[in-house]
Amino acid sequence: MSRDVPVKMFRFKPGDAAPRYQTYRVTVPDAANVIDVIEAVWRQDASLTFRHACHHASCGTCAVRLNGYERLPCIYSVAEALQGRDEMLIEPLRHFPLVSDLVVDVAGFFQKQEAAGLVITRTAETSLDGRRYSPSELFDQAGKLTDRPYNRFENCVECGICISACPTMAATDKFFGPAGLAAINRARQQTDDPQRKSLLLALADGEQGVWRCHSAFECTHACPQDVDPAGAIMSLRHDLAAQKIKRLFGGQG
Amino acid sequence: MAMAQDSKLKRAAHWADVRGRGLGMWAYVLNRVTGIGLVVYLYIHLVVLSMLTGGPAAWDPFIKVVRSPLFLGLDVVLISGWLIHGLNGLRVTLTGVGLGVRAQKAMFVGFMALAAIGIVAMALLVFRS
Repeated sequence: MSRDVPVKMFRFKPGDAAPRYQTYRVTVPDAANVIDVIEAVWRQDASLTFRHACHHASCGTCAVRLNGYERLPCIYSVAEALQGRDEMLIEPLRHFPLVSDLVVDVAGFFQKQEAAGLVITRTAETSLDGRRYSPSELFDQAGKLTDRPYNRFENCVECGICISACPTMAATDKFFGPAGLAAINRARQQTDDPQRKSLLLALADGEQGVWRCHSAFECTHACPQDVDPAGAIMSLRHDLAAQKIKRLFGGQG
Repeated sequence: MAMAQDSKLKRAAHWADVRGRGLGMWAYVLNRVTGIGLVVYLYIHLVVLSMLTGGPAAWDPFIKVVRSPLFLGLDVVLISGWLIHGLNGLRVTLTGVGLGVRAQKAMFVGFMALAAIGIVAMALLVFRS
């Protein structure tokens, strides 16, 4: 069984004075996901540019705003997207420079992720030998993977959805952002080296670090992978506040 | 490569866009709206107080005006702003130091319920006085 889907698609090409919206009507299977709709539109109009890769929420490449809200279209069903609506609205993520149609420039986002030294991983990994290892057992002090027989799954797929959802990112691109701060918190948990811990905490400190966050918790609400960046930001704030109070009274923070 | 950025005004509009968002975003918007309102009130308050320099002739007629039901209603709006901003601010402070982070939604609902009780109580006091 298939269904007709009316789609209002955001369109913008370099050199255009302003973005515009173009309406399409495509036919997809009843069980289709929104990425199938985007691909069906592309088959009608090959000038549409969009990013996609894995089709199963492990790469985070295809993230868009669907009906005004950040989603991974590869795992979001058409049925759900059309609930209570006659038409599906597809737009690029916010708070990124726009390249073309649904494609945004994610270079700045990845630079911030890299600054933390690693991406976000699950708190415990089930290894191929049946044991569960903590991250500190899987990585050495330099942050390199050890040779344990592990299955490594990453929670954060670096889709950028948290950046688009965060209202503070609307104010400034300089803000380190939810994913970057969550990566710092994760890197901090993964090392036993006090000097590295201290450096990571210092990276999260400052006007564009954790103190810039205005506690809207939208990053955690929107994250399709339960990374909980807001929780990580609050954890960093807690430790930074404790450090500052200790230093205020002459202690070593 | 040529890239486009939303204008600052358009980006600032995202601060008030609550469509499809979570409870935390509503709390964020409420805190901004009440915060801006309280700052505006502070300046109006300072201007009004400057009327004292005109002596009783300037001040007494003004006092009669602010005892009208319209101004009493505005007093209730002001108290609402204080309570909502203050209690929501307490939630932000607590979560900001890592306390009750996982309960932030429940905390918001609880504090806003407290604010509602406070607003009703203060409205009764204002209009009965």
